[in-house]
Amino acid sequence: MKRYIVYRLLQGVVLLCLVATIVFFLGRLTGNPVDLMLPEDATPADRMAMIKALGLDGSLFQQFTIFVGNALHGDLGTSIRMRQPAVEAFFSRLPNTLAIIPWALLLAMCVGIPLGVIAALNRGNMIDRAAGTVAVLGIAMPSFWLGILLIYVFSVELGWLPSGRMGGPEHYVLPVITLGAFLVAGFMRLVRSSMLEVMESEFVKLARIKGLSESVVIWKHCLRNALVPVLTLWGVFVGNLITGAIVTETVFAWPGIGRLTYEAVIFRDFPLLQAVIILKAILILSINLVVDILYAYVDPRIRLA
Amino acid sequence: MPWIPICIIAIMVSMALFAPLLAPYSPIDQTLRDKLIPPFWVDGGGIDHVLGTDAFGRDMLSRLIYGARVSLIVAALALTAGGGVGLLIGIVSGYFGGAVDNALMRLVDAAFTFPAILFALLLAVTMGQGLGTLVLAISLLLWASFARVIRGEVLSLKQRDFVALAKVRGCSSARIMLTHILPNVLNTFMVLVTLNIGVVIIAEASLSFLGAGIPPPTPTWGLMVSDGRGRIAEAWWVSLIPGIAITLLVLSVNVFGDWLRDRLDPRLRQL
Amino acid sequence: MGQRRVYKIWAVAAALAVLLWQPAAAQTQKGTLVFAVESLSAQTLDPILEGRPGNAIYQAAMYDSLVGFDVDKGGIGPGVAEWWELSDDGLLWTFHLRKGLKFHNGDPVTAHDAKFSLERQMSEPSLASAKATLRRIVKSIEAVDDLTLRIEMASPQIGLPSSLSRAVATEGAIMPKAYIEKVGEEEFRKKPIGSGPWKFVRSVPGDRIEFEAVDYPHFRGTPHFKELHILLVPEESTRVSMVRTGEAAIASIGPESLQSAARGGLQVLSVPGTMQAVFQFWGAYRPEFKDSPIAKPRVRQALSLAIDRKQIIEHVMNGKASMPYPFAAFGYTEYFNAPKWKKWSEEAYRYDPAAAKQMLAEAGYPNGFELNFLNTALPGTQFMTDVGTAVADMWNKAGIKVNIKNYEWGSFAPLSRGDQPQLAGNASMYRTVGRPDMPWRYDGGFAVTSEHHLLGDKVNCDATCQEFGKIYNDLLAERDPAKRTELTDRMVELVANTWIAVPILEGMGYYAVNAGKAGQFAAIPGRHELGDVFERIPRPDEKPWKK
Repeated sequence: MKRYIVYRLLQGVVLLCLVATIVFFLGRLTGNPVDLMLPEDATPADRMAMIKALGLDGSLFQQFTIFVGNALHGDLGTSIRMRQPAVEAFFSRLPNTLAIIPWALLLAMCVGIPLGVIAALNRGNMIDRAAGTVAVLGIAMPSFWLGILLIYVFSVELGWLPSGRMGGPEHYVLPVITLGAFLVAGFMRLVRSSMLEVMESEFVKLARIKGLSESVVIWKHCLRNALVPVLTLWGVFVGNLITGAIVTETVFAWPGIGRLTYEAVIFRDFPLLQAVIILKAILILSINLVVDILYAYVDPRIRLA
Repeated sequence: MPWIPICIIAIMVSMALFAPLLAPYSPIDQTLRDKLIPPFWVDGGGIDHVLGTDAFGRDMLSRLIYGARVSLIVAALALTAGGGVGLLIGIVSGYFGGAVDNALMRLVDAAFTFPAILFALLLAVTMGQGLGTLVLAISLLLWASFARVIRGEVLSLKQRDFVALAKVRGCSSARIMLTHILPNVLNTFMVLVTLNIGVVIIAEASLSFLGAGIPPPTPTWGLMVSDGRGRIAEAWWVSLIPGIAITLLVLSVNVFGDWLRDRLDPRLRQL
Repeated sequence: MGQRRVYKIWAVAAALAVLLWQPAAAQTQKGTLVFAVESLSAQTLDPILEGRPGNAIYQAAMYDSLVGFDVDKGGIGPGVAEWWELSDDGLLWTFHLRKGLKFHNGDPVTAHDAKFSLERQMSEPSLASAKATLRRIVKSIEAVDDLTLRIEMASPQIGLPSSLSRAVATEGAIMPKAYIEKVGEEEFRKKPIGSGPWKFVRSVPGDRIEFEAVDYPHFRGTPHFKELHILLVPEESTRVSMVRTGEAAIASIGPESLQSAARGGLQVLSVPGTMQAVFQFWGAYRPEFKDSPIAKPRVRQALSLAIDRKQIIEHVMNGKASMPYPFAAFGYTEYFNAPKWKKWSEEAYRYDPAAAKQMLAEAGYPNGFELNFLNTALPGTQFMTDVGTAVADMWNKAGIKVNIKNYEWGSFAPLSRGDQPQLAGNASMYRTVGRPDMPWRYDGGFAVTSEHHLLGDKVNCDATCQEFGKIYNDLLAERDPAKRTELTDRMVELVANTWIAVPILEGMGYYAVNAGKAGQFAAIPGRHELGDVFERIPRPDEKPWKK
C-alpha cells in the first residue's frame, strides 16, 4: 500500500511539472495584460512604464526561470491585476467553491441513485426509459440557461429566492440545483449498470434461493454493493466541479475559483492563471488519490491487484 | 427501440442537410425594423416569420435550421478528431502496456487535471474565435475520456484467446490492433460517440456564453441561447426556442445512446 | 513674477458649490444603498494600483481628487482644490486647496498630502496609467503652505488640471501622507483611509466592497444612506434580476437590457455623452495602399453615408443614444463651438445611400469592393460589437463585400502596436470616451508619434498629416481662450474631412434603478461611472421618482 501511495505521489509531481510548463507558455501566448489595464489613449511611453512596473520585461526564458525558482519556494507569483500573491487570491476564494460542492453532490445522489435503482429494476420497459430521460435532463440543458431560467422563475417572478451571490441557505438553493443537475445522469447510469451487474451475481442468487424477500434482497444486498463504484464518481465529479463551475459562478455571482480562473484568462493575468491551474491540479490529484485509497479499502479486489 | 428520440434525431439531421432548401430566409440577413417579432401564435406575430425574429430582425426559423447545420458539423468534426485520437491512443496504450501505457495515461491524467473550458478559452483568445478553434478546443475536451475507456476495453481484450492465437501466428502488432482489437472496441466507440454528441453541443453553448464560441453572425444554437438570455421576460422566443432545440436533441441522443449501450454491453460501467 | 492671471470664476463657483452642497447639518442617514456592477477590476483600495474604471466606480467613493467635477455640465470643477491659476509663462500651476477637509482618521487634508499623493502616483511601484507622462511633464512639486500647492512643468501644459481630475484620470486622488508613513503601505492597503464622503468598511474579494457614510458634511455632498455596498455581479441578466427583486437598488446595464428593465417596472437612467462608437481606417496613408479604395477620402465618406445611424440608435441602442458630434467631441467639450458642430454633424452624418452609391461609382467602384472589418468591443461597452454587426450589414447592402471578424478586446489591443500588420489597410470599430479636453484624444489617434497614427507615420506624413501636427502644437501652447476655440475648430475640421475616424453614434451609460430602493437622481454628464454620484443619491422617501 505504501509503495502505491509513494508511486502515485511521484507521478503527481511529474504531472504538475508538465501542467505548470504548459500553462506558463500557453498563457503568455495569449497576449499582454498591460493592454487591458491601460486606457485606449495611453502613450507608448506609459505602456513601457507599466510593463516595467509589473515585471513583464525580460525574455520568456528569463521569466520562466524566475517562475520556477519562486515556485520551488512556494511563491507562485503576484497577481498582476489584483496585486496580491496569487496563492492568497486562490485560497481566499477556494472555500466559496468548496462550500457548494458537497451540496451539489448530495442533491445529485439523492436524485440520481433512486432513479438508477428504479431503472435497473424495470430494465427494458417504459419506466426504465422514463427514468433515463429525467436523469439526462440535467446534461441536456446548457447550465447557464438553466441557471438564468431558474433565477427568472424563482427569484424574479415568484420572489421565493435571491437572484445570486453568496449568503445564507436560501442563496445556495439555485446554484446547487444548477450544479447538481449536471451530475444526476452520471450517478444514475453508474448505479443502474452496477445494480444490473450485482443483481445477476452469484451471492444474490444465493440470497434468493435462501428465500429472503425480494425487497431485502434488493435493498440490503444489491444496493450496498452497487453503491461501491459510486465512490469513483466522487473523485471525477469533485474534479469537474472544481475546474468547471465557471458558468454557474458567473450566472450566480458566486465568488469562487471558477470565476477567478475565467478572469485570469480574460485579463491575461499570467501569474494568477498559473497559480490557479497548478493549485487546482494539486487539489484534484490529492482528491483522486484519497478516493483511490478509500476505494482500495472498500473493495479488497483492488488492493490485491 | 426508442422511436421518439430516433425521429427527433432524424428531423434535426435533415434540417442540417437540407438547410438551404428548408429555410425561408437567409439566417444572417438583418432588418432592424423587424426586430423581436414574436412567433405566429403570439399576439403581434404572423406567418411571415413563423418563429419570430431576433434583436437584429433575423428570422428565427431560418437561424434554427442553419444552426442545426453548424451544431452538427461541429459535433461531427470534434467527435472525429477527438474521438479518433482517443481511440488510437486507447488502443495503443492498452495493447502495448508497460512504459508506453504509463506515459500515455499520464498524459491523459494531465488532460483531466487541466480545466477543459479554460483550455478552450485560452485557445479562443490566442487563435481568435472560429469554427477551427472551437473544434480543436472541444476535441481536446473529448480525447482523454475516449482514450481512458477504450484502453480499459483493450486491456481486457488483450487477455482473450484469439489475440494470443494471432500473436503465436506471428502477426505484427499493427495488424493485430487493426484487425483484431479495433473491430471489437467499435461497439464501445459507437456508444461513446453517441453519448458525447450531447457533450459537444452543450460545450459549444457554454463557450458561446463565455465569449469563446463561433462568433456572430454565424447562427449556432448555443450562441442564439446566449444572445437571448437577457430578454427572457419580453422576448422569450429568442432564447427559449433554440434552448428547447438543444435540450430535445441532447435528450434524444442520450436516450438513444443509453439504449445502444444497454443492447451492446451493459457492463460498460465507465460510461 | 509678472501679471498673474487668476481664474476668479473658480472662486465664485467654489463658494457656490460649498454653499449648495452643504445640506442641513441634522440630516438623518438611513439604510443601505446597494449597487451591482459588472466588474470591480483589481478590487484594491490603493489608488496607485487600480486602473481608471475601478477607480471611477468604487475608489471614488472614499477618495477625493485634487480637481473635481462640474456636476451639472460634466467637465472639471472644484475638488480638493478650490481654484487654480497658471503663471504667464505657462509653466507654473498653483492650486489653492479648500479649508477644513479631513481624512477619515481626523487628520487634516493639506497641500503636503497632495504633494505626497502625486509623488506616490509617479513612484516606481505605481501602476498609474499616465505615470510616464506625468514624470515627463512635471518638473517639481512644492507645498508652499498647508493650502497651496505649486507644480512646475517642464513644458507648457494647459491641460494639467484635467489630468488631475477624475473626469479624465485617476492620478489626482488625495492620499493621507501621515497615515501611510506611519502604518506603512501594507497596512494602508488593508485599512485604507481617504477624505471622501464614504469610509471604507471591508472588501470581500470577488464579491463586494462595503462603505459607511461619514457623519459630517462633505463638500461633494453628504450621503443620504448610512451604508454603500458595491456588489460584483458579472452576469447582466442576474444584475437586472437583482434590481427587480430589490436585492440591489442600482445596476449598470447595457442597451440590450433597457427593454427588460422597463418591462420589469424599473427606472432607467441614461447618462449622456459617455462615449462615441467610431469606425476607423488603419494605415490608409501608406504607399502600398495608394490604389486601395480605403485610401480615398470620398470612398471613406461614402461608407459613412451608407450607415443609417438613426436605425442603429433606435434598434440596436433601443433609442438611448444620440447622433454624434465630430470625432471625440461632446456637448461639454472645452473650447468647442458645440452648436455649430451639431449642425455640421446633422448634415455630414446623415443617411444618404444614393449619394454613397454615386460617390463610390465616381471613385471607380460602381460594384463595390472587398473590405476587411475588425469588430471589437472595448471594456464596459459590450454593445459595440452589435453596432459593428449592424454597420457591416448596412455596408453589405450598399454593395461592399465586408469580411467581418470579431475580436475579444484582449486579442485586439495588441494589434494596434508597432507595424499593425493585421490592421493596416482595413477598417475596425473603436471608441472614444467622454472627456472634456479633446486635444489629448486627437493626439492619441492622429499624431505621428502616437500608437494609432492614423494620419501618417514618421516616414509617410503628407500635407494633411503635417498640418495636423502644426495645429496641435499651436493648440498646446495657446493661452487665449478665443484663439484656442478657433484652433480647436480647425483641428476638428481637418480630421473630420479626412473621414479616417468617423463617429457612428454618441453612446450613454445605462443604469436600472429600483424606485423603491433609491430616489431620483441624475448622473454627471459624460461620466459613465457613479463613483462621484453615490453621495448625492437621495432615499426613495426623500425624493421619489417622477412619473
